[in-house]
Amino acid sequence: MYGGGNTFEGIKTDSLAQEDPVKLAEFEARIARGEKIEPSDWMPQLYRKQLIRMIEQHAHSEIIGALPEGTWITRAPGFKRKLALMAKVQDEVGHAQLLYSAAETLGKSREQMINDLINGKSKYSNIFNYPAFTWADSCFISWLVDAGAIVNQLANAKGSYGPYCRALDRICAEESFHLKYGHHCVIYLATGTPKQRAMFQEALNRWWAPMMHFFGPSDKISAHTEVLMKWKVKMASNDDMRNQFLDMYVPKIWELGFTIPDPKLRKNPETGRWDYTEPDWEEFKRVINGDGPCNKERLEVRRIAEERGHWVREALKAPKASYVMPLA
Amino acid sequence: MNSLDPRVNRLPAVGVPGQAEPKAPMDQFGTFEVFVQPRDGKPFQHEGVVHAPNLELAFVLAKEAFTRRFLCVSIFVADTRHVHVSPMTEGNDSVLNYIRDVSLQRSTKETYEIFQLPKRGKQHLQAGQVEAAGPEEAMAEAKKILPADKVIYNLWVIRTNDIRYTRPEEKELWLTLPEKKFRDASDYKGGDKLKEFLERAHS
Amino acid sequence: MNEIALKELLYKIADDQLILGHRNSEWTGMGPLLEEDIAFSSMAQDKVGQSYAIYNLLHALGEQEPDTIAFTRNANQFHNSIFTELPNSEYDFSLIRHFLYDTAEIIRFDLLTRSAYQPLADLAVKVRAELRYHTLHANTWIKQLGSATEESISRLQHSLDTALPHALGMFEESLYEQDLIHDSIFAGEKILMERWKQQVEIILSKTQLQLPDWDTLTAVNGGRKGQHSEHLQPLLDEMSEVFRIDPTAEW
Repeated sequence: MYGGGNTFEGIKTDSLAQEDPVKLAEFEARIARGEKIEPSDWMPQLYRKQLIRMIEQHAHSEIIGALPEGTWITRAPGFKRKLALMAKVQDEVGHAQLLYSAAETLGKSREQMINDLINGKSKYSNIFNYPAFTWADSCFISWLVDAGAIVNQLANAKGSYGPYCRALDRICAEESFHLKYGHHCVIYLATGTPKQRAMFQEALNRWWAPMMHFFGPSDKISAHTEVLMKWKVKMASNDDMRNQFLDMYVPKIWELGFTIPDPKLRKNPETGRWDYTEPDWEEFKRVINGDGPCNKERLEVRRIAEERGHWVREALKAPKASYVMPLA
Repeated sequence: MNSLDPRVNRLPAVGVPGQAEPKAPMDQFGTFEVFVQPRDGKPFQHEGVVHAPNLELAFVLAKEAFTRRFLCVSIFVADTRHVHVSPMTEGNDSVLNYIRDVSLQRSTKETYEIFQLPKRGKQHLQAGQVEAAGPEEAMAEAKKILPADKVIYNLWVIRTNDIRYTRPEEKELWLTLPEKKFRDASDYKGGDKLKEFLERAHS
Repeated sequence: MNEIALKELLYKIADDQLILGHRNSEWTGMGPLLEEDIAFSSMAQDKVGQSYAIYNLLHALGEQEPDTIAFTRNANQFHNSIFTELPNSEYDFSLIRHFLYDTAEIIRFDLLTRSAYQPLADLAVKVRAELRYHTLHANTWIKQLGSATEESISRLQHSLDTALPHALGMFEESLYEQDLIHDSIFAGEKILMERWKQQVEIILSKTQLQLPDWDTLTAVNGGRKGQHSEHLQPLLDEMSEVFRIDPTAEW
């Protein structure tokens, strides 16, 4: 589950001047033809660096994203929900597994990435720094955070880097289960008892602001990313993805009779795009930089998991096997 | 920790909060390539990698990492370091044009599994087996069994003895896979309930 | 056929699968390796799914809906062995429990494929196929970690010593043991336990782990009669927290 929102801040294109112009032209021509770049192909340093950054953040967002929903894994009501939530959270771990492997083809080891996560050096989707207070919060995540992630991931699956695209094809196929399951849960809450309806309305109130943050800062204030668009690393602008999400899901939320906590939210008939209250980007920055309600807990859980598992890895590691770059 | 997640509240205190142990020496496992056969008679297809301490555990872990849904009748795994890789070509240029003819007159031939890449951006597909005295010769032998009229972009060869195959008695591992409907989107149909709700709301 | 005996058998098997599946699912997202996290979660799902299938057999015999059975009973109505309800502790204990438990379960379900109660025999064929992965997984880890480093061996040995008396509690006989054997519904806990001991010995002989003399061990019984440790009721309270907000609601 990843909205791609905060990957491309502060890009310096200086290094491009040092690249071999002939190779760079061939590389760009290949992308323009719609062909994929594979790990053994030549690529500019900036391409490699930005891809590692993006895929790594995506992977971290999956493994950390397993935690807010994991809050309810032992409490899912009834067999159907229990099995589904177990499988859903498992899929998030599986997505992390696929994505770390895709990033490893670019030259950074999984271990180094996980170290950087735990030490706070790399980021992950902001939204997972918020708590899941009730069962309905987990339903919000399964339906709408996954829906947002699918908007971003379907776009990225058409990108230029082969291993990332192949991982995303697999991930998107699995996300269709998440989305349907999440919507199913919310329909049951919406059509259930007054208490169930209230549970979801409260969750919606809590999660709407983080959801709007999910796709990243408005294009008006976000860094220039033309070169990454040309290289098909970044596939859509933050505002376009947010708009697409609103287009697809606001009607479905309204259909269930819920109120979205933004009085300005409406589809503008003139522009064909959604109007909304500008999200609080100062809060977004504050949370990204560590000061959200759950940042500490999320990283602490990952740290403890890594350290508790250390003896298993230590017992069986083969010294020469450490970090072999995957082939594809 | 004071968490909303009861599991987190049960975690033991480990190390120093907020401070990761320095990870030296590294404890990362090796990398293994995973191939999946969706149904009998179909070629195995490369699906990705797992980290594992050795071939046997790689097989065990690959099974759930890559075949917990969709179709599968068999998998196999090989250490990434045991996969011999040809150059990669593009356009209409087949990699077979770059495979040198090698014929080693050694008597100890072994079996190699051949994989070909039919399209850039897609996965490698199993293309058959050859007998050869080494990976170079195996690539040369592969030219004889691959269709010459199709562009192939990349070849992998793996010595058969370096592969952990699914054993016949293990085919049962995927017996109930089609029944695990709870992992499929198709098992979550809320349409009727939604329709009934909307009709009630509008009446 | 003695239906009370049959139901008793089904309840204890399903309760075992549910409670251990639930316990094992607690590891999801917190395992020692991403790949292992995924594998362990799948097996937890299998177990919960198997319990659901068996509660459905009970429902067909006139018992309540599976959700009602699983999410509304109190600890003293559960017939799982105490072994399955113990907290996960560290991964060494969870692995050892997985090994000892699934070694028993695959034999149990193999015996049940020949049950005179046909719906159970049919189900057992499928469950046995799933358990084949569980035992492959358990045996591979135990063989490898059980002969790796001083730390891994001593961790597993310690967990094995803690687990074994509880594991023997899996074979606590029900009041209807003779009826089940007589009606060819189930070959009985004694046969199961003997085969289990042999299999455990075979696997552990490939490691540096030491099995104590079986005669020195005292089984921790009671679970099959609804007498549990202090761990089960909190587990059930947690599992049913949302369900009991309104048990008549659809979730």
